Amino acid sequence: MSSLDLTRLAFVRRLLVARGPQLAVQLALLAGLLIVILAGLLGTPVGSRNPATVLVWIAWWAALMLAFVPWLGRSWCSVCPLPLPGEWLQRGALLAPRGRGLGLGLRWPRRLRGMGLQNAAFLLVALFSLPVLTQPRLTAALLLGLGLLAIATSLVFERRAFCRYLCPVGGFIGLYAQAAPVALRVRDPRLCATHAPKTCYVGSAHGYGCPWQAYPPSLTTNVSCGLCLECLRTCPYDNIGVFLRPPGEDLRRAWRSLGEALKSLILLGSALVYAVVLLGPWNGIRSAAVHVGSAEWFAFAVAFLAVVLGVVPGLFLLAVRVASGPRAESGDALRRLAPSLVPLGLAAWAAFSVSFVLANISYIGPVASDPLSLGWNLFGTAGVAWSPLGGGWTFWLPPALLAGGLAWSSHRIRRAADGLQGGLRLAAPMLTLALTVSVGMLWVFVG
Amino acid sequence: MGLRRLTAEHAARTSVVLVGLGLPLVLTGAWWSARSSESTVTLRARVARDGGWLPAVVRAEVGVPLRLRLISDDVVHGFAIGRSAAPPIDLPPGQVVETTLEFSEPGTYTYYCTRWCGPDHWRMRGVIEVAGGDPGAATVEPPLYQTLGIDIDAPHSSDVVPQARPSARRGLALGVTLPAGNRTRQAFISKPPAETWAALRRSESTVGLSDAQVWDLVASLWRSTTTSEALKQGGELFAANCAACHGLDGTGRGVFAGRPADEESLAQAESPADFTDPARMLGASTALLQGKILRGGMGTGMPYWGPIFTEAQTWALADYLWTFQFEE
Amino acid sequence: MPSLPASLRRTIGPFALAGALILPAAVPDGQAAAPRVLRMEARDFAFFPSSFAVDVGDHVTIELTSSDTVHGLHLEGYDVSLTADPGRPARVSFRADRPGVYRMRCSIPCGPLHPFMAARLRVGPPRPFAFGLALLALAVIAGGFALYRRPPAGSSP
Repeated sequence: MSSLDLTRLAFVRRLLVARGPQLAVQLALLAGLLIVILAGLLGTPVGSRNPATVLVWIAWWAALMLAFVPWLGRSWCSVCPLPLPGEWLQRGALLAPRGRGLGLGLRWPRRLRGMGLQNAAFLLVALFSLPVLTQPRLTAALLLGLGLLAIATSLVFERRAFCRYLCPVGGFIGLYAQAAPVALRVRDPRLCATHAPKTCYVGSAHGYGCPWQAYPPSLTTNVSCGLCLECLRTCPYDNIGVFLRPPGEDLRRAWRSLGEALKSLILLGSALVYAVVLLGPWNGIRSAAVHVGSAEWFAFAVAFLAVVLGVVPGLFLLAVRVASGPRAESGDALRRLAPSLVPLGLAAWAAFSVSFVLANISYIGPVASDPLSLGWNLFGTAGVAWSPLGGGWTFWLPPALLAGGLAWSSHRIRRAADGLQGGLRLAAPMLTLALTVSVGMLWVFVG
Repeated sequence: MGLRRLTAEHAARTSVVLVGLGLPLVLTGAWWSARSSESTVTLRARVARDGGWLPAVVRAEVGVPLRLRLISDDVVHGFAIGRSAAPPIDLPPGQVVETTLEFSEPGTYTYYCTRWCGPDHWRMRGVIEVAGGDPGAATVEPPLYQTLGIDIDAPHSSDVVPQARPSARRGLALGVTLPAGNRTRQAFISKPPAETWAALRRSESTVGLSDAQVWDLVASLWRSTTTSEALKQGGELFAANCAACHGLDGTGRGVFAGRPADEESLAQAESPADFTDPARMLGASTALLQGKILRGGMGTGMPYWGPIFTEAQTWALADYLWTFQFEE
Repeated sequence: MPSLPASLRRTIGPFALAGALILPAAVPDGQAAAPRVLRMEARDFAFFPSSFAVDVGDHVTIELTSSDTVHGLHLEGYDVSLTADPGRPARVSFRADRPGVYRMRCSIPCGPLHPFMAARLRVGPPRPFAFGLALLALAVIAGGFALYRRPPAGSSP
């Protein structure tokens, strides 16, 4: 249960507190975003030769799913280019605070807080995802739309309201970041209790108050911390550190809100649906999902929502009810047991992503050399042929990842059951649910 | 301290402006200048129902090199100029392929797609209007079927059909010497094989031969009036252009048989011809077959290949069609 | 230590059980090598049929017919490729000397859904789904039982 405080190392702290390196990475990604949007709008409509589809849904998605989220938590959010223009306008500065910026700075409406809007945004993108994933124009339109929305939100509301409440990927990243070993936490909470100004939340001359509307001393999980590192710069007592701990520490705690549990079940169900639609052998379903607006697509949309909002949460509730029996408080059981499915969900998404990413990663070369399909060859890789990575063993990667996630989740289920004083009798229905979902995904991958 | 922060902030802002404004401007500018270039024509290839070749008409001048930038917007296409010896250019989707054409004579040149990209692949055609130069007094000869007065739309079924597949080798082995007039290529291609058979049957040189053996003679006549190269070329042309509808086996059950090109176009009323049907084939002369290849069939979905194949190619194809009836 | 045999039993036992589940799936069928022809049609971003099984050592010929546009096929693991234009079926032959399960993907961009156009070839055992089931069972046993220790009363989970 030991954790290593990385920021005790002086060079690490200096690197993280300095604004220059962070800005450099942000600028590079902003350049990438602009190239992607332009290429999507002006370049070829062929998905495999356009940076919009290749760099976003293959390169970025792979990096997010397999590197950023499982290992570095919400680190993507600290360099994500989407909210940057809006944030810079809102702050009136790129580096340290320099007085007022633009914008109304309104508080986010109380009624619109929570997971609801983010879940809705994710589901909306998911319903239209097949044409968006495969057509560069639509990918560009989505990113442009999100970018403009982020700017508008920053000019009306305070802090990173877009990131916290609207970003379709934010819910996904926040949920699975809880499995990561890296976390930003307060070193000594007692010090914070006696510190009245709460500079970490309010801001100072050295930095801004938490853009994620999180109160650092109360950060117990990675869900709401975007690793922007402002609090490292503002805390006058250097009481905040970036820690390295065993993976999944955050999953030991019960979730406070049922919305969090619902989100985790929506995402687990979505992984299953995506696998069925994109990797399964049922051509008709894939065709229905891509022809947005048709009668088949409406049927697909209804089925999708029924599975992620109804079937999967329903089965989970059933498992909890069976386990708790006639006892009154199944809400507590729900909040305790729900986090244990996170590793399985993460593994399911990783398994889904890994096979088509490995197969298509060679598209990055041509797309980087000729982004607008004008006949350029910037890096000499324009003529690189499609070469899928890996031999026959890559077939077993998704099942292996699923098995790993299932093992981890099984462990967490037993532990959560212990926390409820329930033992194996309480864990058994949940283990059965986890196994059933895994078998379903396995069937789609290899059946 | 304040000055240092001011400089850092300004450096940062300059970088942001370079990235945020400069980069899009440079990229858009490059895209725009490529698009509106005078010297290079960008030719986009799409399946016919999505527009086909865009643009469908290109203008050029005699003696002035025409630089084309070809790019496919959806599936694999190919580019070639009709009736030209230049090899076709494959267009992998999304990849720019550049080529330069030069024309020595004015006229209308057809360019077409050379890789089957859908049921309406053959409709993917465009024209290059080449102006200037000397029009010349090029006379165009009418196709043979017109000279012979053959109605290529009339039904051409034959009452007499062989019991077995006629073999050219067996016919040659018979050692029969036919009158010189019967042995010319012109003689063979002008008449349906059934008529040739009837004439041979009546002739004195075939007294004592069975009906089947006379058919073998017809087959040997076919084989002796064409060449191995022509048959090979015909086979290659058939596989590349005809098999998708007619099937490699010639039975008319190719992958696009019976599938209308799209809802707007005429649904194919008939399925593609079955070249293995003796009753239908043996009543048609080679000239008639060549005519159909040239002109296409009205309302049957059969493309017109006149602007695409050279005359030699059309005859090679027509010669090849007999391999579905005769053995070499 | 008196507890060692018990904990050893607890750790090794489930793995041995899982091994016993996997082992039958890995036993070879032991049939003679035969020539096999796999006929596939490529149409509408899918292969029909999309799943094949051959024995180890078989001399396999893949025959690909495209029905709407130019499609390709790439068999991973054996690195075998072919391209088929509509009207011109393509063939390639190879010897299936390596057991395993291999994906066959379309190798020629054929439209928006091209990246998801895939089929599967199984060469010899193991039957993938049975093997995967064994793997999942092993996972539950390992995570939920073998590697799990009931905490002493009163400690946090």
